[in-house]
Amino acid sequence: MTAPATSRQRILERIAAATHALSKTATELPAAYAALPRTYIRKGQLSPEARIELMIERLREYDAEVVQCTEEQLPETITAQLAASGRLILVAPPGIPSAWMIDAAWKITGLEWNIDHGLTTREIEQAEGVVTTAFCGIADSGTIVLHHSPLEGRRVISLLPDWHLCILRFSQVVETFPEYFDRCDQPPGLATWISGPSATADIEMTRIKGVHGPRYLHVILVRDQDANTTVN
Amino acid sequence: MSPSADHPILDPTLAPSFPVGALPVLRNPQLRKNVAHAIDVIQAKRDRLVTEKKDWQALRTAGSDLRAHTLENLGAYLQQFESRCTANGGIVHWAADATEARALILDLLRQENASEVIKIKTMTSAEIQLNPYLEAGGVSVFETDLAEIILQLGEQEPSHIVVPALHINRSQVREIFARRMGLKDLSDDPHALTAAARTYLRRKFLDIPTAISGANFLIAETGAVSVVESEGNGRMCLTLPRTMITVAGIEKVLPRFQDLEVMLQVLARSATGERMNPYTSLWTGVTPGDGPQRFHVILLDNGRSSILGKSTERQTLKCIRCAACMNGCPVYRQTGGHAYGSVYPGPIGAILTPQLMQMHHAQSLPYASSLCGACYEVCPVKINIPEVLLELRHQVVDQERHHFSRFFDPMFLGLRIANVLFSRAWLFHTAQRLGRIGARLFTRKDGWIHSLPSVGAKWTQTRDLRGLPSQTFHEWWAARPKEAK
Repeated sequence: MTAPATSRQRILERIAAATHALSKTATELPAAYAALPRTYIRKGQLSPEARIELMIERLREYDAEVVQCTEEQLPETITAQLAASGRLILVAPPGIPSAWMIDAAWKITGLEWNIDHGLTTREIEQAEGVVTTAFCGIADSGTIVLHHSPLEGRRVISLLPDWHLCILRFSQVVETFPEYFDRCDQPPGLATWISGPSATADIEMTRIKGVHGPRYLHVILVRDQDANTTVN
Repeated sequence: MSPSADHPILDPTLAPSFPVGALPVLRNPQLRKNVAHAIDVIQAKRDRLVTEKKDWQALRTAGSDLRAHTLENLGAYLQQFESRCTANGGIVHWAADATEARALILDLLRQENASEVIKIKTMTSAEIQLNPYLEAGGVSVFETDLAEIILQLGEQEPSHIVVPALHINRSQVREIFARRMGLKDLSDDPHALTAAARTYLRRKFLDIPTAISGANFLIAETGAVSVVESEGNGRMCLTLPRTMITVAGIEKVLPRFQDLEVMLQVLARSATGERMNPYTSLWTGVTPGDGPQRFHVILLDNGRSSILGKSTERQTLKCIRCAACMNGCPVYRQTGGHAYGSVYPGPIGAILTPQLMQMHHAQSLPYASSLCGACYEVCPVKINIPEVLLELRHQVVDQERHHFSRFFDPMFLGLRIANVLFSRAWLFHTAQRLGRIGARLFTRKDGWIHSLPSVGAKWTQTRDLRGLPSQTFHEWWAARPKEAK
């Protein structure tokens, strides 16, 4: 691979020549970066209830379905959502608590949970729905962020099935984008920001749901804390 | 693909000048209607969402300064990206120009024994004219973005960088899909058309193990790459194949992961008038068990480093390809994208294309603007496009000034004569008197000149000129009654 190595050198030399009067030394660079202006809004201004309301409103604007429940009601809420959807073949990430699945497995005949311990693409593609959690919800844009932990699953499981049920806790919902970034202790290796179901407006700017990703996004918001409690 | 009279050419080395390229659209009412409709819809949505964002100007400033800082320290950030990406299992390549990048990609595909490849929409690959090269090299290329499928199957050219098929309406899409997918009974309902594309591509996603993408952002801190999309075709390409090849311009880098808090807030609002696009993906090298297990990044220069060295023009590289400038541009609204003769149309194309081509081509593009400044106002990273346009016009004139054939050009001849006339008052007054006599021949009864011969016709073809008054100010001043003071 000698040719690419010389291209690398040539490009870096050209860049160095183009920026020699401007570029900072390695020691100066962090300070120059830190001095960049960031006067945009960092912290949200809304009350906790208003923040949740905004999240719900924004999700619904994207045609996502949203329901609320308490931590205790979660298994039966999952069951109710699955029953209403009529979907029987489901995929779930490996970290999903069995308590969430047992209720539905008991109550819905023919329901089949496929836990992703390395399912093949074909197996995932044949599933009718997927249940995952999320890392964070951002109310300002109605965005759900997955960092693909064992509870959120590999990227492919929340992509191929046509129906995505996402479980999000009140305590995970922030108001602004910067607040989400403040919650990341370190940058994620993998992340997917989901804002509503897959869509396109490529034909005459008409928004059409579900080109390739899930056509249906359902969100269960779990009241894991009193809405009045301030979140960090 | 032979360029016909109706087929636009998006290669700046071959394309006609802007005024000539604009004619097919200006003469086609359907095309103008399609373009204007799409632009109006995006503009209205964008304006509403920008007004809603209280800190919009603060975000623009942050975005602009962040991009400028990155460009000033591009070498350091690129090398950091390279080392972090490599440490995470990615393979980083550098391509000095389009030829190198194309050869590199074909070589990688051959190592994979790939006869087919799926693609996420990427401007960079269009810039280096990758698809025809791969096809000629024996690799079948399948675009997966809905608009790109429409263009690929319809053998048409993109006219916008975010909504590339905005010049094609639903009945035209229906015709293309019905013909190329063999679906005779397809309706022109966008839902049915979208469903047809979904079915057409599902098998390709599942069967083709090699994919090519562009990048919206490269993160120096972690070596991560981010792709912003709507349909999920990007996610398909980023998770299902065995091998992913990403082509990214060297200017795409951001210092840190956290910088996305600025970019993701401005990009979708500016591009499609959404608070956030449906899907944004971020990945870092190779993740065992999740997504492609072989990952290549090609860092493409292709003229960018030469733009970097020029103080006024450098800001061109801050661009995050949102297309807000073309949506806001009164010229683009009339001409559509093909007139620009490049994969980069609109105001950003008018400054980017001539610079990437080092001004040998596309010399009419810096003039494809009324300098109204709408593009600057909507730009989320504050690129002062009118300023760069003026600088490029200056360079075009400088080049032409020294060109021998220009010596007899009527315009340059006229300017040289004017130079002499303006330097002596008596010559100037004489010229005014003669000019008045001459102009009288062309002035109609309504006091207007409707048509002039020779070079003068360049003005009167598109607008009228007021006839010269019977007296100049100097003459009036000298002749005024003295007692009036």
